[in-house]
Amino acid sequence: MDVLSSALLALFLVGYLVLAGSDVGLSMLMPVVGRAPGQRRRVVAAIAPYFLASEVWLVAAVGVLAGLFPATEHHVVAELWPVLVALLAGWLVRDAGLWSRARVDRPDWRAVCDGAIVAGGWTVALAWGLIVAGLLTGGPAASPFTVACAAAVVCLFALRGAAFGAERLVGADECDSADAAARATRPLARAGLGLAVAAAAAAFLPGGPTGGAAVVSLVLAAVLVGALAATSGLTGPMLSRHTSAVAIAVPGLFVVLAADLPVAAIPATTGAFVWATLAPMVPVMVIGQVWLYRMTRQPAPEPTFFA
Amino acid sequence: MLEDPLLLARLQFALTAATHYMFVALTLGLAPYILVTQAVAAVRGDRSRMAAVRFWGGLYLVNYGMGVLSGLVMELQLGLNWSGLQEVFGYSFAAPIAVETMTAFFVESTFLGLWVFGWDRMGRWAHLACFAVVTTTAYASAWWVLVANGFLRHPVGFETVDGVAHLTDPAALLANPASALAFGHVVTGAALVGALVIAAVSAYHLMRRDDPHGIFRRGVRYAAITVTLLVLPVAAFGGTQFEYFGEAPPTSGLTYSAEEIAAIEATAEGGAAEVAGLAGETTMVLAWTLIALMGPLMLLAWPFGGLDRWRWFLAPLVAAPLLPYAASAGGWVFRETGRQPWVVVHHLTTADAMTPLSPGTALVSFSLFTGAFAVLASVTCWLLVRYARLGPDGGPLAERGETASEEPAAPVHPF
Repeated sequence: MDVLSSALLALFLVGYLVLAGSDVGLSMLMPVVGRAPGQRRRVVAAIAPYFLASEVWLVAAVGVLAGLFPATEHHVVAELWPVLVALLAGWLVRDAGLWSRARVDRPDWRAVCDGAIVAGGWTVALAWGLIVAGLLTGGPAASPFTVACAAAVVCLFALRGAAFGAERLVGADECDSADAAARATRPLARAGLGLAVAAAAAAFLPGGPTGGAAVVSLVLAAVLVGALAATSGLTGPMLSRHTSAVAIAVPGLFVVLAADLPVAAIPATTGAFVWATLAPMVPVMVIGQVWLYRMTRQPAPEPTFFA
Repeated sequence: MLEDPLLLARLQFALTAATHYMFVALTLGLAPYILVTQAVAAVRGDRSRMAAVRFWGGLYLVNYGMGVLSGLVMELQLGLNWSGLQEVFGYSFAAPIAVETMTAFFVESTFLGLWVFGWDRMGRWAHLACFAVVTTTAYASAWWVLVANGFLRHPVGFETVDGVAHLTDPAALLANPASALAFGHVVTGAALVGALVIAAVSAYHLMRRDDPHGIFRRGVRYAAITVTLLVLPVAAFGGTQFEYFGEAPPTSGLTYSAEEIAAIEATAEGGAAEVAGLAGETTMVLAWTLIALMGPLMLLAWPFGGLDRWRWFLAPLVAAPLLPYAASAGGWVFRETGRQPWVVVHHLTTADAMTPLSPGTALVSFSLFTGAFAVLASVTCWLLVRYARLGPDGGPLAERGETASEEPAAPVHPF
């Protein structure tokens, strides 16, 4: 039961990073890939079907953390309160921009909403960088590792967004933004590679990660470097959809497998209660997610509710 | 006041929860009406009813967005500002919330996405099924949240092991009368909110004789029937809860002895919370009395054609939604202040539940989220009123392109 529940938490966290990484990352890159008003509308149209279905993974992760791992949650909140507040604020601002953008047909209104989407996206990515670093070092530490780790995570979000944009922004007449996103994958992967190596080196300086899972860390670091190296080399954007997914999953796996977090045994009744109510709903959850991602593979031809 | 983190954290949570519920009540109240309208439209292939679904669905989405944003902040705030509650009651109070996030909200948000983006991409039955899932999970969500909330008021089904509450009896948790009665009260109350919002929007357009699809004559009739039928059940579900107020929960004594409980309750300052609770109760009862008069009056006007024609009769209906909203806010203030000084009655005080925060950080968090909420809630209310006044042709889901169809419509993708 404990292993299964931990796996569930890990699934929600990594699933959130992989899925929401796309739309958060594309929000960050909006100034680069959406230069004209029509391009910005397409960027939001690319984000909109996904953010509804991807942010629920984080909500579910928070729910599992509160209900099945309260001791872990208590530790995380106590250590990282300001960063978590920043994450929540960035999330709120970005979503408010996405929900409001198409509501008023005025350029200044859209400019404010686009600003909220971009600023919120960067805040969310940076907050995740600080959360990953803070969990690995066992609390917020002003160290070279924190800086390199946070920067690397921000870079991975942007890379994920670029890979997503390179596919989703391809359209009949406005291919500029898809090209811009595709061109961004290689420099972002190179920057990510540099930052990942810097973080690995800084891990041995004071203020580096605590916790002893050396073998796991080594394997995860090798996976990250391999994924980023593939994208920074000759293939460029071609396989970046997959390599960026692997790359952004790594920080989540680091937190799950290598961070030194207090975990208490889950009382049997609570575990059974949660799993018994969850199990019958799993097929509905899977069907909904797969259906939405399949249905919206092609951008909507008509303007929708969001853009 | 600004030097007291506890007061700020309490006020912040009260404002977040109140904002959240204002939008949730309309979500719950509109969803079944939209679902039934869409089902009738699908069965009959009725375009005018589909126009109604697009109109009310547009208002539903604008409202839902704010409900989600405030819900996210509320859930994360529980962990951030009230970590003492999570530490002691995580396995009992937070377990239903964990179930809610996965089985209700996760599914609701995904299927709402399917509903929004599936208008032109899926068949009418699949599209209807998506909204049926959205409606069901919206109510499931309310049920699980009230299971958690009912536990605070009437904690049951746990034992304390090393200072941590362990769930022992999930059946007692689910059958908690403080949850079941509150769910009945919230469902019927939300139906009144939905009905009176529908009545107000309908009355506004009927006064202008602007109802080409018959959306508003059907809306005002739905409101007349719903308000008449549900005004007594909402009071019955609410009134039955009074017997649990002030009564010791069955688990009383597990954490503190009777003397300690009496001492804690004696030293607690009644003050502002007590006054707010009394004001909430008065508002709730007063608003309910006025709503109770409205249903029969609307039924009386119906056979004379008054629901469609009498402008003097329809004009006051435009302001009617203020009543159920005031009653809901008052009811929640009454319920939640009535629990003080406890967060979990007879087990954990509100003061002990709070995350230790310095006055500065508490003030920053309070200003940040209260300010953001004030802006977002105002914008959402303004948008709702604006779309309600624009009518079926100006809504965010209204069919586009019929007037300017020089080019053939873009092909619909077949998956």
